[in-house]
Amino acid sequence: MGAKIVFIKDTAVNQDTTQDFYVHFSNILRENALEGKVQVVRVADIGIYGQGLVVKFPEENIIYANVQEKDLKNIVDKTVRDGQVIKELLYQPEPKQLRIVLRNCGEIDPENIDEYIAKDGYRALAKAINDYQPEQVIEELKKSGLRGRGGAGFPTWLKWKLTRETPEAQKYVICNADEGDPGAYMDRGVLEGDPHSVIEGLILAGYAIGASKGYFYVRAEYPLAVERIEKALKQAYDCGFLGKNIFGSSFSFEVDIRLGAGAFVCGEETALIASIEGRRGTPRPRPPYPSVKGLWGKPTAINNVETLANIPPIILKGGAWYASIGTEKSKGTKVFALTGKVKNSGLVEVPMGITLREIVFDIGGGMFSGKGLKAIQTGGPSGGVIPKEYLDTPVDYENLQKLGSIMGSGGMIVMDEDDCMVDIAKFYLGFCVDESCGKCVPCRIGGYQMLNLLNKITESRGELTDLDSLKRIAVAMQKASLCALGQTAANPVVSTIRYFEEEYKDHIVNKKCRSHKCKHLLNYNVIQEKCKRCRVCVINCPVNAIEGDKEKGFFVDPKTCVRCGKCYEVCKFNAIFKE
Amino acid sequence: MGKLTPKDLERIKTAHADDGKDWIKVGMSTCGIAAGADKVYALFVEEIKKRNLNIQVKKCGCQGMCYSEPSVEVRVKGLPDVIYGKVDKEGVIKILDKHVCGNALVKDSIYELRTKR
Ligand SMILES: Cc1cc2nc3c(=O)[nH]c(=O)nc-3n(C[C@H](O)[C@H](O)[C@H](O)COP(=O)(O)O)c2cc1C
Ligand code: SF4
Ligand code: SF4
Ligand code: FES
Repeated sequence: MGAKIVFIKDTAVNQDTTQDFYVHFSNILRENALEGKVQVVRVADIGIYGQGLVVKFPEENIIYANVQEKDLKNIVDKTVRDGQVIKELLYQPEPKQLRIVLRNCGEIDPENIDEYIAKDGYRALAKAINDYQPEQVIEELKKSGLRGRGGAGFPTWLKWKLTRETPEAQKYVICNADEGDPGAYMDRGVLEGDPHSVIEGLILAGYAIGASKGYFYVRAEYPLAVERIEKALKQAYDCGFLGKNIFGSSFSFEVDIRLGAGAFVCGEETALIASIEGRRGTPRPRPPYPSVKGLWGKPTAINNVETLANIPPIILKGGAWYASIGTEKSKGTKVFALTGKVKNSGLVEVPMGITLREIVFDIGGGMFSGKGLKAIQTGGPSGGVIPKEYLDTPVDYENLQKLGSIMGSGGMIVMDEDDCMVDIAKFYLGFCVDESCGKCVPCRIGGYQMLNLLNKITESRGELTDLDSLKRIAVAMQKASLCALGQTAANPVVSTIRYFEEEYKDHIVNKKCRSHKCKHLLNYNVIQEKCKRCRVCVINCPVNAIEGDKEKGFFVDPKTCVRCGKCYEVCKFNAIFKE
Repeated sequence: MGKLTPKDLERIKTAHADDGKDWIKVGMSTCGIAAGADKVYALFVEEIKKRNLNIQVKKCGCQGMCYSEPSVEVRVKGLPDVIYGKVDKEGVIKILDKHVCGNALVKDSIYELRTKR
């Protein structure tokens, strides 16, 4: 028998006294002659935040929070010696995450089909084929309330029903694994961590809509995902989950992989289909929707990776089970790639209806920088920012839309006071301008013009009328663009103007960027009181913008200065200011 | 492997039910590998062979703790399952010396360490 293990961690927001506490704890153990019998372990993260000193007995799963040093004697006497629980100190955290899509990620070996099968893999497929008519599969999905996770949130059952009902002998299903949003990697995580869950979902889609052929459309920048899908497909063929007469039924299904060459627009369904057909990847007007006229002109159901990974558990546990999770109109869970200025960045999966605050502070562990949270970006280049005033909003499709952002595919970027909202808008718009396929004018020209205006504002040439122009072009793009890339490209600009118009005006009128991001708006100069006249800045300035001498002191000539920041970096006495 | 029937699925599930054996799991997604998880994995395999230890090394996908890669989860009988974060070569040796052979957790705080659930 090894020693009894106790985890400790100071979870206070602004301090970490774990080390002192550790010493104290060890002393008390020694006094009680228990030192060899107990191992106190300082952990870097205990999954609980803002609850003071936390003491956890992992074996018994007893957690004490807000522990004071005076409580230690009691803890040693009761819990360490006798295994008794001290009720007053007990802390019972509600688990905030719920892993349905990520159920096997990090658990199983993605390259071993047996491990997937051991986690109830391919049982949903067996159940559907043996017990359900295709219509019943769709019925179960309807009960579940599952909506597409690729961005738009279209009800999955309806997409499948429409595809099924289009009279045509040949139909197709496609898994959209193009994942192009900057900052998003949920789909990659699932494909690399549990490829079979997506394959099983795709086969079920084929069964439900009556397709005999499926495609994975994966971006070529995901070589490891491609490799794992290839391996998994081969295993699924070997086991008879793919191929002819699956589980002895009349249902046969084949799957192929197609690689995308990395154009963002190829994630759009009609462009994606064109790309598989070997044509140039540009969108076409809808209707007809792919459910009516898709790949090679045949009815096609196209679904996102995460959508498909949800299907097997729904079939296995029932639509009603899934519908019991989430909010009225948004059921189930959503995977987010939590990044930015948050302590624990990573993939999180949460039930719909959880608040942004819970995601950032209870799961993400709060801010990384120690600075205040300013806003959260969701939905990537098609989404917007949500300012801190709305942190308690329950996350679902409707609420995020009301706030001027979108659920999107699941990127979630936490921003603090150092992030400039104009700069953020410029980044996302710049991305869409680069990625616009150029087929339609509102997106091609509108995006470019908006970007010019943003550049003008961040380069100190802005005028107040620019704000009106931005808003006007945004409306034109939203209304007249051919595909959702152009229709949503202005969202980051519109939403930052909506919540942070003051910041835009600061750039335009006062020529100031309060986050010090827009370098053209920065002014550098020497703080005379701190300056030691060492001349280091003078020597390092690439354009000789620092004038003066040791007697008079040094000054930056704003006309010559190119705002490179070199002087600020090299001054050892912090005698250069920027604002 | 021939075609499987629903019965085979049951059989495989039972065969894979927790056998109480010890294991080490290394997160091997793109991000993990970029952070050096493949080297960590290889070193585990090499060292375990050298020392003739009875513990299996496995690969897995994203554990959700992308900020602390390479991350390694360890199960050894009698100890709680924990995930070590930011594991490097030195960390591998420590985990084997202390956790696997010494029956105690590696508490050196340079590693992130957390209980699962
Ligand atoms: C520019 C653009 C890029 C898109 N990229 C993706 C993507 O990478 N992955 C994805 O699943 N859907 C993407 N979509 C949405 C798809 O067009 C489509 O709605 C989705 O694949 C449908 O699947 P779902 O119903 O399961 O969400 C994109 C849409 C647009 C307009
Ligand atoms: S909106 Fe943009 S990306 Fe979409 S079709 Fe028009 S030009 Fe191409
Ligand atoms: S910011 Fe660069 S150019 Fe301006 S004074 Fe400092 S070193 Fe010279
Ligand atoms: S993808 Fe590597 S741990 Fe999340």
